Amino acid sequence: MKLIRELILILILIASLWGRTDSELNQLFEQGNAAYQAENYTEAIRLYEDIIAYGYDSGPLYLNLGNAYYRTSQIGLAILSYERAARRMPNDPNVDFNLQLANLSVRDRIEAPPAFFLLRWYRAFVDLLSASGWAIIFSILLLIAITSFAVWLNFDLRHLRRLLRAIFVICGVLSLLTALMLFQKYHLETADDQGITISRTVSSLAAPQPGSTELFIIHEGTKVRILDSDGNWFKIELIDGKQGWVSTADVAKI
Amino acid sequence: MRKSRIYKLILLIMLFTFNANAQNVRFSASVNKNNITDKDVLIYTINIEGVSDFPNVSPPESPDFVLISGPSQSSSIQIINGQMTASKTISWQIAPTRTGQLTIKPISIKYRGKTYTTDLVTVNVTSASSGQQKPSTPPSGATRPAPGASTDSRREEVFLKATVPQQTVYKGQELVVTFDLYYRNVRTFGRKKLPDARGFWIEEFPAPSQPTITNETINGVPYRKATIQQIALFATTTGELTIDPMVIDCEVVQPSQRRRSIFDDFFEDSFFNDPFFSGTKVVTIESAPLKIQVKPLPEKGKPSAFNGAVGSFKIESSIDNPQVKQDQALTLRYKISGNGNINALKLTPLILPNSVEVFEPKIDKIINKSGGTIGGSVTYEYVLIPRRPGQLTIPALQFAYFDPQTEAYRTLTTRSFNLKIDVDESARSDRSVGLSKTEISLLGQDIRFIMRENTGWRKLNHTVFSEIWFWLLNGISLSILLGAVGLRWWTDKLQSNLAFARRRQAWPRWQTRLRSMQTMLVEAKEEEFFTQLDQAIIGYIADRLVLPIAGLGPREIEQALNQCGIEAELLQKVLSLLKRLNEIRFLPGLAADAEPRTLLTESREIINNLSKVI
Repeated sequence: MKLIRELILILILIASLWGRTDSELNQLFEQGNAAYQAENYTEAIRLYEDIIAYGYDSGPLYLNLGNAYYRTSQIGLAILSYERAARRMPNDPNVDFNLQLANLSVRDRIEAPPAFFLLRWYRAFVDLLSASGWAIIFSILLLIAITSFAVWLNFDLRHLRRLLRAIFVICGVLSLLTALMLFQKYHLETADDQGITISRTVSSLAAPQPGSTELFIIHEGTKVRILDSDGNWFKIELIDGKQGWVSTADVAKI
Repeated sequence: MRKSRIYKLILLIMLFTFNANAQNVRFSASVNKNNITDKDVLIYTINIEGVSDFPNVSPPESPDFVLISGPSQSSSIQIINGQMTASKTISWQIAPTRTGQLTIKPISIKYRGKTYTTDLVTVNVTSASSGQQKPSTPPSGATRPAPGASTDSRREEVFLKATVPQQTVYKGQELVVTFDLYYRNVRTFGRKKLPDARGFWIEEFPAPSQPTITNETINGVPYRKATIQQIALFATTTGELTIDPMVIDCEVVQPSQRRRSIFDDFFEDSFFNDPFFSGTKVVTIESAPLKIQVKPLPEKGKPSAFNGAVGSFKIESSIDNPQVKQDQALTLRYKISGNGNINALKLTPLILPNSVEVFEPKIDKIINKSGGTIGGSVTYEYVLIPRRPGQLTIPALQFAYFDPQTEAYRTLTTRSFNLKIDVDESARSDRSVGLSKTEISLLGQDIRFIMRENTGWRKLNHTVFSEIWFWLLNGISLSILLGAVGLRWWTDKLQSNLAFARRRQAWPRWQTRLRSMQTMLVEAKEEEFFTQLDQAIIGYIADRLVLPIAGLGPREIEQALNQCGIEAELLQKVLSLLKRLNEIRFLPGLAADAEPRTLLTESREIINNLSKVI
């Protein structure tokens, strides 16, 4: 009896601790929103960044941070925040709209080579859900498939056997497909090879040494792929395939 | 009568002019050399200027000197532009009586009720035998012979002096260094090395083509002074900084080495000091390095718009076309002008609404070096293209600088501009280049508002695979799968494998038979009991060894048990038991004296032993 009472006490303590950090973060978030509404954007940025400094983030946080950066004309950081928001809230209309709008202000208009339509559809399909969404669907489908398999295997339910087998086969195949989606999406969400240029103008060099030949110049907000890193240098690739070395200070990973 | 009045008038005018000149009486004493040997003769000269009727001057009195000759006098009267100037020079030749630092006392004269006194003259006399190479002290700490240059540049009576108006400056404050050449007889000079100053931004003032020459007497020796170079320095770091010396080459006129003769006097005349009559010699001299203390700018009251400008500036803003149409370029110009560190001037970045396209500004710097101070202007020219019609406000820009004169920061604010951007339908098509249809539809829209509600906080680096529910759910699935397959495997094994089933069922079946035999004993069905016991033993062996029960006699059992390799003793026991049971069953007479209970315990023991082996 005494043991149970102590256990409950400890549980309440842990819950209250958890709740406190959560409410602190909510308070910062609300203060940030208030600063934003008062058009005090630099203050809003500071408050939002504070939350991230605590080690927490969320989709709405990145959307609001992106808005604050957009209002202070820091397009590179705005796009970076929107991209991060899009990772956490796929297909959110507000995030997509603001990202599109911010991308209009990017100086570089690099034409991506058109992708094969099936590949495009596939990507759109993968992007339908977040990794956790795919994980939930995968787990449930797997559970249904296995349960039906277990019943089919061990119980002689004559008239249900065909139905159970059909459920098992369909759910099994679907769960394998969703597993594929899950890993694709997981890879996309945790990929650290995507970057956004955050400096006004970035000159891309032929080698990771200051003073080497300048290959091309990109501007704030351009999305790049990071292929390699060497000390303070990133090897980047633009969507049209151009490659070069830039300083790590000029590019932020999404 | 009339004539005499005119004369009087002229006389009066002349008197007036003389009186006016009498105000500028200058009376000075000089020697031709400061450093002499005890064998040398010194020429001591008194110069009187601005006086027409020269008073008497007594010869210099000093116990350390003897008068050799003199006085020799010369006077001159010049009338320039109606101004009459008169001067008189009186000189004596004197010789020192001892070595050391000797002084010649000032001489005083009385002129029209006023007393004029010359300066004290100090002469350094060294012994002729110890040589003339004794290092001499410079007149006022200004020069040192350049390394490798003639060591007796001192004797050439030329030195370079660097002067600064103050020793401590603020970081970024202008500091003008003046290099003056003091000389007596220099024909030409050439700059060899400009002063170098680490930690400063250096601006050189243009050297005058004809330096103005003034006379200056240092320690009794008359020098001519020419300002040959001025540079402005702006410190870029703080702390104690050094301005390196400036090095110049001078062509110094050398009096030809002649023996002292009675003509000396005659040849001392400046006319004969003409280079025409004597050789020249190139002497390298350098100024002394200067130490400058650079203070950091005060932190107190530093405005946010401050970017390092020090001096005094003003800022103007202008716009070239207040009536601009959409997608037409307009030029926004900011001009900062004034005096100070023009090179370090920077404007705070322009913050404009997103509807305006801004290009990188064109920056023009003009540095003006006239007027003895560094000034100029920096112009920022922004090209703006408004992309949206309507009201456009270009906000006021702030520019701050530090004024070292008042030691305070000052912030200037430009005017803001309110522009009305007209719609231009014809220009619309240009904008669509490079934009997709959906993007064009986005033009002129604003971002969506922030989300007020949060959807829950997530730790950074958090992924699906760190969720407990994911692993829990999939763990359940996995255990269901394992359980189902295991169960199926077990039932399959039981059902499909008869041998396995018989072997597994042998022991429980033996147990049930034992129980039924015990009830038979209680009910005294002895005949039945013996049949049952026989069947039970054979059944157990047959089940364990998986043999067909039909046609299983003691011979077959013996054979099978032998194949299992059981002990001979146990085998014998089993066989004898079966034999006895057969005898009891088929010879009913024997059944009477048979003890069913002992037989049962015996056979139970045998089966127990057997179950350990097979």
